[in-house]
Amino acid sequence: MNPRTPAEIRSRLDFWQAFSGALLAVFVCCHLILEGSVVISPVVTDFIGDWMEKIYVAQIVAPVILALILFHFWIAARKMPFRKGELTIFTQHSMALKDVDTALWIVQVFTAIVILFGAFFHVYGVMSQMPLTVEKSHIRLHEGWILFYTVFLPCTILHTGIGMYRIGVKYGLISKARRKIWRAIIWIGMGCYLILGCCALTRVWFY
Amino acid sequence: MGRELTFEIFRYNPAQPDIEPRMQTYTLEETPSMTLFIALNKIREEQDPTLQFDFCCRAGICGSCGMVINGVPGLACHTQTKDLPDKITLHPLPVFKLLGDLSVDTGVWFRNVGGKIESWIHTKKKFDPEAQEERMDNALANQIFELDRCVECGCCVAACGTARMREDFIGATAINRLARFYIDPRDNRDAADFYDLIGDDNGVFGCMGLLACDNVCPKQIPLHDQLGIMRRMATVESVKAIIPDFIRKKLTGCKSVKA
Repeated sequence: MNPRTPAEIRSRLDFWQAFSGALLAVFVCCHLILEGSVVISPVVTDFIGDWMEKIYVAQIVAPVILALILFHFWIAARKMPFRKGELTIFTQHSMALKDVDTALWIVQVFTAIVILFGAFFHVYGVMSQMPLTVEKSHIRLHEGWILFYTVFLPCTILHTGIGMYRIGVKYGLISKARRKIWRAIIWIGMGCYLILGCCALTRVWFY
Repeated sequence: MGRELTFEIFRYNPAQPDIEPRMQTYTLEETPSMTLFIALNKIREEQDPTLQFDFCCRAGICGSCGMVINGVPGLACHTQTKDLPDKITLHPLPVFKLLGDLSVDTGVWFRNVGGKIESWIHTKKKFDPEAQEERMDNALANQIFELDRCVECGCCVAACGTARMREDFIGATAINRLARFYIDPRDNRDAADFYDLIGDDNGVFGCMGLLACDNVCPKQIPLHDQLGIMRRMATVESVKAIIPDFIRKKLTGCKSVKA
């Protein structure tokens, strides 16, 4: 087997983009479900938080996820419209075309930037006030973090949902024939996670 | 009496750079089964003989009459005015070299891209004009024919956000074209050879999965399905040193002919 040249190694970025994106998507889904357990009972959430702290999962996963977000953003940013005139060209193109999938890419770019900064605030807010308890979250929300989460939560869910759909499409896992069904599944999934997130926030707010 | 249609048509002749690009308005009475191609010919014959646009077959086969119709790329001969509102705005296809008004040169673009992806059968066999044609499995022949249905109208390229932003991106049509050789058993190239041609951000990894190429293709070719297969092949090829063989073979998922 011939060794890969640096130029060829660069082409692995697409794989790492999809792989890191998929990992983050799985993390977001699990994280929201675990957080959503507060809807059932704050006791359950406290138990999960306590257990995660005891076995050091929380302390390890948080910085790893932050690093993964940075890595994912760094790779994906090569496609973002940061070069001169690109954003204008793309926005005008998207508006003229009125194509939902094209427009959703702008949503992905916007939410990516929100998540990039938001994730740091979120992790800082949580990890600097250990232990992980619903009571601490309740205090944090009342200190003004509720505004942050009303933006951060939908952005994370949108980016995750659209991203997963796009990975499926880009790698031919979602074919043209099944695209409508998958699109519906993804939107329903995003809706369910948004409802769960909102219910969890409400439950913590009124803890 | 039919509707009165208002056409806003982009006018600019690169040969006359002193005259600014502008939108010119024409009105026309709609007739039954009127296509944009018919309407444009009527305008040119009855109102403005200087209006430039391309056409040839009038049947969606030659791909000459591609233009941006109310913001969406499509073929003029395939588009019936009854499916459009009273006001119709026409622009030339972006990305391609403008020849004048609605006329663009897609040929140079496709020739360049064809060269980049080496869009021809690569074989070591010496051609024998006396020999009988080689037999091919019917299902495979149909698959190749399906990919060969592209008329190179350029609508997918014009609808692609990536191609609009990055002029070196080869577009779904070129990747679809290469997929045709990828499944052709007469082509001796292997996955590594194809990877070398399209395994970068100007090739298959440049695609952002925007899907507009698929949505506007007048021939309804599932461009993105092909793109997905080729991307999978190229991705697996790019990481073959770190992925076990049994997983790699499952992931490639395109064909067994040249696995």
